[in-house]
Amino acid sequence: MGKKIFIDFRRCIACKACEVACEMEHGEARIRVFEFPDLTSVAFNCRHCEKAPCMEVCPVNALSKDEDGAVILDPLKCIGCLMCGLACPFGVPKVDEYNKIMDKCDLCAHRRAEGKLPACVSACPTEALKYGDINDVLWAREGRIIAQLKDIGDRTNVLEAYIIR
Amino acid sequence: MAEKLVPVVCPWCSVGCRFYIVSVNGYPKKIEFDYEHDTRNHGKLCPKGVSSFQYLRHPDRLKKPLKRVGERGEGKFVEISWEEAIREIAQKLKEIREKYGPEALAFLGSERCSIEENYVLQKLARALGTNNLDYVCRMCQSTAVAGKGMVLGHPGLTNPFEDILKAKVIVLWGYNPAATNPVFFGQYIEKAILDNNATLIVVDPRKTKTAKYADIHLQPYPGTDLAVALAMLNVIITEELYDKDFVAERAEGLEELAKTVEKYTPEWAEKVSGVPAELIRKAAITFATAGTAALLTNEGVNQHANGTRTVMALTEMMVLCGYFGKEGVMSGAIPGAHNGMGAGLMGIEPDALPGKFPLHAEEHKKRIEEVWGFEIPEKPGITYVEMIDAILEGKLKALYVMGTNPAKSLPNLKKVEEAFKNIEFLVVQDIFLTETARYADIVLPAAAWFEKDGTAISFERRVQRSFKAADAPGEAKPDWEIIVMLAKELGLGEYFNYSDVDDILREINRTIPPLAGATPERLKKNLQGCMIPCPDESTETPRLFVQGFLTPNGKAQLIPVEYKEPGEVPDEEYPFWLTNYRLVGHFHTGTMSHRSKSLSKRWPEEYIEINENDAKRLGIKDGDLVKVETRRAALVLKARVTPHIREGVVAVPWHWNFNYLTKDVLDEYAKMPELKTAACRISKVEG
Ligand code: SF4
Ligand code: SF4
Ligand code: SF4
Repeated sequence: MGKKIFIDFRRCIACKACEVACEMEHGEARIRVFEFPDLTSVAFNCRHCEKAPCMEVCPVNALSKDEDGAVILDPLKCIGCLMCGLACPFGVPKVDEYNKIMDKCDLCAHRRAEGKLPACVSACPTEALKYGDINDVLWAREGRIIAQLKDIGDRTNVLEAYIIR
Repeated sequence: MAEKLVPVVCPWCSVGCRFYIVSVNGYPKKIEFDYEHDTRNHGKLCPKGVSSFQYLRHPDRLKKPLKRVGERGEGKFVEISWEEAIREIAQKLKEIREKYGPEALAFLGSERCSIEENYVLQKLARALGTNNLDYVCRMCQSTAVAGKGMVLGHPGLTNPFEDILKAKVIVLWGYNPAATNPVFFGQYIEKAILDNNATLIVVDPRKTKTAKYADIHLQPYPGTDLAVALAMLNVIITEELYDKDFVAERAEGLEELAKTVEKYTPEWAEKVSGVPAELIRKAAITFATAGTAALLTNEGVNQHANGTRTVMALTEMMVLCGYFGKEGVMSGAIPGAHNGMGAGLMGIEPDALPGKFPLHAEEHKKRIEEVWGFEIPEKPGITYVEMIDAILEGKLKALYVMGTNPAKSLPNLKKVEEAFKNIEFLVVQDIFLTETARYADIVLPAAAWFEKDGTAISFERRVQRSFKAADAPGEAKPDWEIIVMLAKELGLGEYFNYSDVDDILREINRTIPPLAGATPERLKKNLQGCMIPCPDESTETPRLFVQGFLTPNGKAQLIPVEYKEPGEVPDEEYPFWLTNYRLVGHFHTGTMSHRSKSLSKRWPEEYIEINENDAKRLGIKDGDLVKVETRRAALVLKARVTPHIREGVVAVPWHWNFNYLTKDVLDEYAKMPELKTAACRISKVEG
């Protein structure tokens, strides 16, 4: 499974550094931060789906996966028919009004080629955005929770209550 | 195409983030994150940092010296040559000095310029015979400097950032780092809370992005937080929660303090501040029994007519609990700008010498005079807001402004505009034609931060070098070069014999002992810099007060603090508390951030936050136009109806026109104006 950008929304402070960093790289931000009335916020970009609906519906095969598993748009093939936009359950591909073709997150292909992280991930001051394999990301979270439980356990002996032997 | 990666210090807030400018033949192309070095930001940046090269090539940049042709404030100028501009300024300054004496001259330095530039500016003022010197610290940190100075003898942030990761309780008082210092918040505070289970106490009338993480959130009316602080002291003392050994050994004055705060019970504080007494008690107990604590304050505390008193009470809380000098603790106020701390240390103050030594500290004065070769004037100068009154009274005739924007940042702006219309001679040296520059007789085009070499001191007390990454547009020059040109024209050239910033820094190393070890060589070699005091090239001081405090006898002074109301409180005519706050995407008066495309697009305009119950009562709906009126002025703003602000309080982001509303009442110790609150009334604008 390829690497993707994951969001830990507990950490997001809606600072929009990710949006601005993306805009600096691509001219337009391809990641968007949604803020909710209860002060939570979520940054949202292309999920680079395993079975990407956008890829499936593209009549001219302008969308493909690169070696890291990112769904990439070939601007020379795109005819601006908007099918991918309709098919994407998250509404990610957007029309580039100037060129009349679609535009979407490519996980910063040019940055990855230089061994760098995607721009939004590089910037995010809270590390709410993580770039990695889903298993690594989940393990990191699980590891932290276990470590915290152990820490509480060491201090108060409540570990017994949490861990079934 | 010669592409270079130039290491710079971020030009905005005071966290001291580092990154690179990708520079192509002197043109700033983009930024790149620095993940290689051991930077304080671990490569991370907030939206301002990421977009920080955008304003550099804005078409509004000043490119040539300008001379006013229209009325003051009209903004009509003609271009003139550098020779003409400098000659005219020198002549006029000399003339005014001869006619009215040196005290008719005043100079404003800048937290946005390097330490070297502030150093040469204050030196020039003193060479001309005046101590009329100040900079915006007066408007953001001066109460913290005064308050902590009285109790501890030093105002600096006490510990390195890492220590916050080990704090058991974190108190953020009048401070919303998620918006004002996102990288510090994300890399240290949030990690302490989410990963290390630190308890968070927030004191703020608004529920902010920071308060979202709070275990205890106290929401006092603006400026009444002094009551909350006194009540916490009361609980800590009466319930004997303080560290008796520490207090016995390292502090004095407990008895008087205990007597004074006796009457300030949580129940009393509830009546004054609107915060439930039980919550105050809970906060006090949580804070005092945590073991390690970080207590960080900011303008929500500072910018009040009772700011110094609040800072003293909070500092005394830290002393009582024995939290100083240890790992896992932190205490400090966070300057707004990347060199807020550095500028002050250079002596750009009416009553302090370089190194922040008092003006009358004979031994330091003598040492500095020996290096300089001329005498420092004896008479203390006047502070920022007092300069405006002095202009209106006809005492101050000429003001020289370097990289700062009083016509937008001072309180009661109508009065400030009146003063600038009537001043005899005004010079502004900046990168854009600011609101202040529109009143100037001569405007000088300065190079921006990335367009020159220079040193800045972050709020962690870290001295860092930033390097020239881009060419300045047109004929714009670094501020220090401009000051040196002017000094030469004034016939003071012998004292300003510098050919680059390194020369100036070496002189700073000699005049300011705590900075002796921050040499150009050291800072160029170590991008992470060093923490002051750094008395020699191999030392630095990560933690303050490990042995003693910096008071004359080394003990913390628990000076009794009495309650005092903020400068203006609501009444029948003006029933609402008005306050302000900062947005993550804007900076200070917006000179740079309003000209940053990516920032102004996301944070386009001002508005007013109103509690949903207040809004319902007044028939105001989200998006309605609302008139907000104080005794000084009125603004019409869009309403944002929200549950996240307490009833009776309304709030406006301050980067636009807020200061037309504020009152110029001053803190008695620090002369800080009350920028954070005023009494107002609001009404829906019909139609
Ligand atoms: S990976 Fe690149 S293109 Fe995608 S959202 Fe992040 S910055 Fe934008
Ligand atoms: S940069 Fe990170 S914290 Fe800021 S809005 Fe984006 S995801 Fe959230
Ligand atoms: S947190 Fe402050 S220093 Fe860091 S990038 Fe943002 S403005 Fe610059």
